[in-house]
Amino acid sequence: MSPVQASCPACGAPVVFNVDTSIVAICEYCNSALARKDRKLEDLGKVADLTETDSPLDIGLRGVYQNIPFEITGRAQLGHQAGGVWDEWYAAFADGRWGWIAEAQGRFYVTFPSNNISPQQIPNFEQLILGQNISFPNTAPLMVAEKGVATALSAKGEIPYRFQPKSQYYYGDLSGQQGLFATIDYSELPPLVFIGREVPLSAFGFPPGMVKEKELRQVSALQLTCPHCSGPLTLQVPDKAERVTCPNCGSFLDVNQGKLQYLNLPKLQPLTPIIPLGKEGDFEGKKMKVLGFVERSVTVDNIRYPWQEFLLYNVETGFHWLTFSNNHWNYVKPLPPGTVQANKLIGQINFSDKTFKIFDSGKAFVDYVAGEFYWKVTVGEMAEVADYISPPLMLSEEISDTEINWSLGAYLPKDQVEKAFGLPAGTLPEPIGVGPTQPFYDPNAGIGKYWLAFSGITIFLWMFFAITASNKQIISKNYTFPPLANNTTATQIIFTEPFEIQGRKNIYITAKSVVDNSWFYFEGDFINEETGLVQNFSMPIEYYHGVDGGESWSEGSQTSDMFISALPAGKYTLRIEAQWSKWQEQAPLSLEVRQGKSRAWHPILILIFLPILPIYALIRRGSFESQRWKDSPYNLSNSSE
Amino acid sequence: MNAKRLFLVFGGSIVFLYAVAGFYGWEFGDNKREVIPPSVRQSPGGYRSFHFWHSGYSGGK
Repeated sequence: MSPVQASCPACGAPVVFNVDTSIVAICEYCNSALARKDRKLEDLGKVADLTETDSPLDIGLRGVYQNIPFEITGRAQLGHQAGGVWDEWYAAFADGRWGWIAEAQGRFYVTFPSNNISPQQIPNFEQLILGQNISFPNTAPLMVAEKGVATALSAKGEIPYRFQPKSQYYYGDLSGQQGLFATIDYSELPPLVFIGREVPLSAFGFPPGMVKEKELRQVSALQLTCPHCSGPLTLQVPDKAERVTCPNCGSFLDVNQGKLQYLNLPKLQPLTPIIPLGKEGDFEGKKMKVLGFVERSVTVDNIRYPWQEFLLYNVETGFHWLTFSNNHWNYVKPLPPGTVQANKLIGQINFSDKTFKIFDSGKAFVDYVAGEFYWKVTVGEMAEVADYISPPLMLSEEISDTEINWSLGAYLPKDQVEKAFGLPAGTLPEPIGVGPTQPFYDPNAGIGKYWLAFSGITIFLWMFFAITASNKQIISKNYTFPPLANNTTATQIIFTEPFEIQGRKNIYITAKSVVDNSWFYFEGDFINEETGLVQNFSMPIEYYHGVDGGESWSEGSQTSDMFISALPAGKYTLRIEAQWSKWQEQAPLSLEVRQGKSRAWHPILILIFLPILPIYALIRRGSFESQRWKDSPYNLSNSSE
Repeated sequence: MNAKRLFLVFGGSIVFLYAVAGFYGWEFGDNKREVIPPSVRQSPGGYRSFHFWHSGYSGGK
């Protein structure tokens, strides 16, 4: 860099161009914007005084970005059509490039001119559609987040382009994933494209202690007088306020650098915010002050659905919102628009590893305004809104004529809101129904895992018992009982040979008798000769059949079986005492006794009954979800009606 | 008690009971089991199976 010195044509003061490629320098004495010509300076007009924006950056600050040193040489202040200003800082890099550092609402965007984009690849300003995706070579897709008109208000230092005070130009801001950011500047033909990304202040590598400490002052309120009613009025954030309502007469007042101008006196039914304006609350460890209150609504089928929003401010974190609908609360923060890619065809967004589903959309109108705002809010202001939910979170899209905004809201239980504002418990009204983002407090969360675990254990045990089952045959014998003496009290008794029974193994008995329209009944007793233990069981065998009304029927079976619990190990005899209906005839009996037989029915019953409670928990959750979705136009059950 | 706790207690008990029953060879049912000394059983008329104390089985159609 070789400094070039000249005299200001307006005031004669010395003007220095430190950077070879800078185009304009601002005279430090008379604020004239001076453009370099071949041999002299051209006076482009005077710039306004800079508005204090509490920026940590300053001219002369040196840093290193992506390993390339740079120095901030100039600053321009541009006016937004919706009110407010933003700063652009111009950084001369050691490799000869210029970088643009834009600063808005505490965020930093560094961009560089892109020279590899042909004019045909740049859409006209009129062709820009908010939300539209645009692809430039070697760059991920970018979404049109804002289009508007900027006004060159003020500047300082050296500027790398022809900065014409009070000139206006069209621009489009594009936003992409992972902080990708671009601006199309329509001040020249063909338009210029600047591509870069949103970065934290730390990315600029400024030496420690060189960056101006951002004033972490408490918001210093400014006492003013309403130009309409002369009542006292306090501006809580004078450097950011664009619109304020008079707390005395309700007038709408425009704010211009701390000065008030009467706009109108809307005839609105007074509304009392449930959280008073000016009240401070603790959110995420920061003191947030309630600056403004708006009531908005959407109307569907002539039914108005209102909700309220509280604008919160903290000098470090900027502006956040608290929304209040059906007595449900959400804490809402703005998001860079390009970080959210909505698939509007299926009404779904994948964001932060979560899937958000569309819940509501429509035209939202501002119905009531009170307090102080950082944009020129008006009653009747309309925006296309769409809410996507993944409880307890909500992504909200708002599209106005000039910009698209995304915000991320998180459900806040009312007791937490009370606690944040230091309100006594029970001050705020109880929520009505289920809120769109209200999380389902599931006391049964995890029951499914227990069900899986229990089912797995059951199946494992079933397999284990089946594999290890001995299924040992103890008795297998055919008996023939001689005819009975009578058909009432007479029985026949037999005893088996002694046999060994093992402990801890169930006993399975099967018996067969050739009964035909008759019955055979016997009782058995396993008798332990040593201990005198007697285990009784009884087994009826009945089989009947016939033809009734031309249709054959049958009932019962010629076989019967049963299980009895394991007996203590030992030597047993089986005593069988029998009766049968055809008592005059002999009766055959085939008997088999086994031990250690695997049971399938028990685990099957367990597997059938185990899911009952998990299913109940699932139904309970389903009921909560259907309550949540009942008023949503995107509820599938609503749309099928 | 919420459903999860109930499930933990109830489901756990059932599975535990199944494991214990399988291990010890337990079965459902109310078959009588008692100790009858040989002297009683072997005395004339001293022992009869339960149903035959009365009139015997009364099955049939």
